[in-house]
Amino acid sequence: MESSPPFLDVPTLLEASEPRPRTPWLHFLIGGFVLTIVLSWLVGRSSQSAQTQDMLESVIAFGLMGFVASITLTGFLGVRRARAEQAAVGAVDELIQLRRWPEAGLLLQSLLSRPARSPLARAQALLFLALVLARYHRFEDSVSVHDYILDEIPLDDATDHVVRLGRAMAMLREDNLLDADRAISELRRTSRGVDSAGLALVEIYRDVKTGHPAEAVEMFEKRRDVLRRQLGHRVADGWALAARAYDLLDRPGDAQAAYENATVLMPLAELTRRYPEINPLASKYKPAPAPAEVA
Amino acid sequence: MLPVDVAITRFRRDLTIAALVRISLLAAAMFCVLAEPFGLHQDWMYVLLVVGGIWVLLSYRSMQGTRIAADSPSLIAAGEFERAESHIDASLRSFSLFRNAKILSLHHLAVLRHAQQRWRESALLSQAVLSQKLGNMQGLARNSLLLLADSMLQVGDLRGAFTAMTRLYRYRLSLGEALVLQLLQLDYGWRIGAWESVLQGIGGKVQMCELMPRLNAAKSQALLAAAAFKTNRIELARWLRRRAQLLADPQEIAAGLPGLEEIFRLPG
Repeated sequence: MESSPPFLDVPTLLEASEPRPRTPWLHFLIGGFVLTIVLSWLVGRSSQSAQTQDMLESVIAFGLMGFVASITLTGFLGVRRARAEQAAVGAVDELIQLRRWPEAGLLLQSLLSRPARSPLARAQALLFLALVLARYHRFEDSVSVHDYILDEIPLDDATDHVVRLGRAMAMLREDNLLDADRAISELRRTSRGVDSAGLALVEIYRDVKTGHPAEAVEMFEKRRDVLRRQLGHRVADGWALAARAYDLLDRPGDAQAAYENATVLMPLAELTRRYPEINPLASKYKPAPAPAEVA
Repeated sequence: MLPVDVAITRFRRDLTIAALVRISLLAAAMFCVLAEPFGLHQDWMYVLLVVGGIWVLLSYRSMQGTRIAADSPSLIAAGEFERAESHIDASLRSFSLFRNAKILSLHHLAVLRHAQQRWRESALLSQAVLSQKLGNMQGLARNSLLLLADSMLQVGDLRGAFTAMTRLYRYRLSLGEALVLQLLQLDYGWRIGAWESVLQGIGGKVQMCELMPRLNAAKSQALLAAAAFKTNRIELARWLRRRAQLLADPQEIAAGLPGLEEIFRLPG
């Protein structure tokens, strides 16, 4: 009995989602026009009776209109399918934002199991796939998807930066510290790296993970405004990592304040899922209590 | 700067002309096909080819106009308002056989005026867009209603804002649109002092805030905090205020929401 492929199997999805070459409908349209002109010219010069010529010209005219109509219909259906694909990618985006990971995974599995119509939609779907894989702690797979995107898909500066950030973060989570350090150095050299809160967060995480809390605290205090400006509620990640760094530096007062700021913005369970390194803080510090109305 | 009334007049005139051209070309094509069977003996095939050629040429010109307009949203998002204005102006001036392209250009002008905080003009443009039959352009209709509701709130036309928001309930909104609508509802509720209604379903609203861009999240939570203070839910109010303050400074949050700064001066 043939077994079904595993859930979110990266090589299978990368291969299956490759876009197929498109049918050159415009070439057919131009060819059809040329053929019509030649046919009508031949009919005009033929020795058949005037009545037969009229009939043949009418048949050619109807044929031309039918041809144009069928090309238009094909184009219309193509656009509809492309829109459906884009809508599916949009739905995955929403599911990820809402942290509905299983549904996002299922939709990605179905979306990437067939050839993509648009390379852009495929690139977005692959980026989301990397996120979902990281959420399921499949960091090696996540890094391989990031690598594929960087190697195979042309990206603008902003997207390239986001992909590289995700890759560096997945490497850190995978404890692949050497490669992560190299990835961070590459990010620093790019123009986007200068004022990037994402990069600051990755560096703080690297310093916490490798036991350099003083550097983590220095980076956090220096870049706190940038983190707040660019990350929105995700600034909680910065506060949580800063709390861990303060704790390692034996500054319990600062650690308590940072821990409260982190937990006032984001549930503790979500923070510890993202950064298992902050687990020891739970037994030492009090999280900010949530009011009964929102608990 | 392109005057709004001129843009709307030109938009309506161009839609009428484009409809007439479309109908004329289609009628000419049908006539060419049906003329011979009905006994009009001429060489209509060449006329049909000329009609087809004109259609292709005008479609190509329309596509060019659409391409010019397609750059405007990214220019507006990057704050390059003058370049966006010139793109939209060029797109509105160029002839387009297809009404969707013209409607999209006018919508981009409404978005631009909204970004420039020219609320009244943005509202007029959004109304002009919404007065058209939008058919399969439902996404554009939703965006225009959100723009209209916000512009109306900013000029103090609360009834107009309420009407626009009510019309949005007919649509299935995307997550991004639902987040914008929540901020508009909170703003509206705060302006009319409907504190209990603002706090209704507070748990869900707080979760939605976590998905918003930073400043919108801060404003939303500050508005919720204001309602909580007004209804004497002090613990909740302080918690929401603290979340807002961790995202933005009070002056930044209260910009465009006169009186909201008060909550940051309350004790606790």
